[in-house]
Amino acid sequence: MTANRVRLPPTVRSLLGSLAAVAAALVVGGLFLTLRGRDAFAAFSLLVERGLSPTGLTETLIASAPLLLVGSGLVVALRAGVWNVGVDGQLLVGALLAGVVGAALAPTVPPPAMWLVAAAAGVLGGLGWALLPALLKVRWGTNEIITTLMMNYVAINLTSWLVKGPAKDPAVVPPQTRLIPPAARLPDLFGSGVHLGFLVGIVGAIGVAVLFRITVAGFRLDTLGRNRRAAVHAGMPIDRLAVGALLASGALAGLAGANDVLGVKGLFQGNWNPAYGFAAFALVALARLDGFWLIPFAWLLALLAVGGESMTRPLAIPTSFVALLEGLVLLFFGLALALERRGVRRAGEIPAGSPTEMEPSSEPGTPPPSVTQAATEATPR
Amino acid sequence: MIGTTALEPFLAALLAGALVAAAPLLLAALGEAVGQRAGLLNLGIEGTMLCGAFFGFVVALATGSVLAGMAAGLAVGLLLGALFGLLAIGLGLDQILLGLAITIAGGGLTAFLYRDIFGRQNPAAAVRPLVLPLGPIEGLPVVGLALADRPLLLWGAYALTPVFAFVLARSRFGLHLRAVGEAPAAADAAGVDVARVRLAAALTGGAMTGLAGAFLSVVDLKLFQPGMTVGTGFIALALAMVGAWRPGRILLAAVSFGLLRALANGIQILGIDVRPEFVTMLPYVGTMAALVLLARSTRLPAALGVPYTRGQR
Repeated sequence: MTANRVRLPPTVRSLLGSLAAVAAALVVGGLFLTLRGRDAFAAFSLLVERGLSPTGLTETLIASAPLLLVGSGLVVALRAGVWNVGVDGQLLVGALLAGVVGAALAPTVPPPAMWLVAAAAGVLGGLGWALLPALLKVRWGTNEIITTLMMNYVAINLTSWLVKGPAKDPAVVPPQTRLIPPAARLPDLFGSGVHLGFLVGIVGAIGVAVLFRITVAGFRLDTLGRNRRAAVHAGMPIDRLAVGALLASGALAGLAGANDVLGVKGLFQGNWNPAYGFAAFALVALARLDGFWLIPFAWLLALLAVGGESMTRPLAIPTSFVALLEGLVLLFFGLALALERRGVRRAGEIPAGSPTEMEPSSEPGTPPPSVTQAATEATPR
Repeated sequence: MIGTTALEPFLAALLAGALVAAAPLLLAALGEAVGQRAGLLNLGIEGTMLCGAFFGFVVALATGSVLAGMAAGLAVGLLLGALFGLLAIGLGLDQILLGLAITIAGGGLTAFLYRDIFGRQNPAAAVRPLVLPLGPIEGLPVVGLALADRPLLLWGAYALTPVFAFVLARSRFGLHLRAVGEAPAAADAAGVDVARVRLAAALTGGAMTGLAGAFLSVVDLKLFQPGMTVGTGFIALALAMVGAWRPGRILLAAVSFGLLRALANGIQILGIDVRPEFVTMLPYVGTMAALVLLARSTRLPAALGVPYTRGQR
């Protein structure tokens, strides 16, 4: 790279990097579809058509609500250097609790109060499910990547048992919780068909953006994620910060579960597992761990999910195509990030602004430490 | 009360189930141990295993040959190991991000292809893995019933343990692996090609994981299901840590976990009334417990997850 090359502002450059990752994933995904004898062009135009139609727009906004909440939580955890790979389990537990509490209160309590209590139940469920990995991490240095992953599988089995047993609606045959009547669910925003939960998601994303921009807690979490030793030397309560980050992340995942139950489904069904975790990881990567950027990219990933589903019937494209795309997005994002780092290193620039990098910690000349921290936290120093 | 007549088939089923369920865990964990020793944390292990299982199954179904299926699993694993290695080592991609990407894309790819090729059918591969005759051992109580008529490849998986133990502990390559995992800069200064050793580790890990997947679909179950590994790869990743990257200990850990998996079937034979969900949970809870109890004292390789660039601290 020459010295007189065009220097884009860091924000624009990282935005371009993220968009390039999405574009590359779509190209490779399209090539794959072509190889499998599908009309990739028709598939993608269907995706765009569907996503931009009035009903499609409503659906993508609804679908972006849980992504925003799960993503906001992931941002908090990842910026503190804590890998919460267990958002799916936390979401399931939160959703089930919210469903049970919501349906129990719906006949007697006015809806707004019911929403608050049910949402609180969801938050508690998600938070509670993150508690064990958090405590194990700070007490014994147990790697949270593995514990949160394992808790996912435990959650799948636990909720599956609960919804067949103690939490089951006895009045119906299929394993599901009692139905929250449509009239008691989250209301539409101005008759748009998009429920109130979308607003909650936006508030969550903005809240996280604000947290890391102006609050002391956000600064401390960032410090812990960037340079653990600096946080220790500054006398920050690192254990409490790490626990807090993981719990907040679990709480927001639980709220996302409550959001789907109160706003869309009205109940928790047998083997329901939306596995937003995949999309959420792609989301927070693209958004460079920044709350504000979560909003447009959550919509983009919701578009992929909703559009991907709409391809199933007319073009016989399995829904797993969306997971393939999400994985590819993450892969190409990692590539874009590595190339950006090289560019920064070569040009000898000092990266400006923390949200320009996936790991806010990376400075030119040092290895990305977040991975190191996650993996070697157990190492006695 | 359990009579002795019921006890023998129960114990035999438990032992056999444990040995069969442990084999893919062992294969993947041995490979992952080599990678972790060299400083690579490959979360793509779950997706690699699924790809190995899928492509192994498809080839076995088409050719009717177990060996061809295993070879396909190995080849796919090598390919994904090379992808991980080249991107993580060559370009310095974030290993966790890259691993998650491989796991997510691998799950999506195999589920897509399976539905695309087989529709709503769930074919089984009509393969007959070569069986190892055990002679007089087959006449022994419990053990005979458990070990008779087991595929040769099952024993092959176990036979790899001492090979890995030797290579890791006694060979030059094993020493280099540990060196690049603990102190890459020092290894570099001593003339070890850090990138090459790590790439070799990534390839070994990928190949073993692919084999593990193919073992699951071709030798053990003879069928494929989208997402069939349900966390087995991640458990193997944890087992490598629990076993402190020593093949002998990894073998012990893998068999213990095989036992937990086998308990699911064993309990049903005994007619004990436990909700299957709780039995299915056991390996995952066990993994966490083992990690807390056993891995607490083990020290992770110092450079685990850290890319190495010459001239940087």
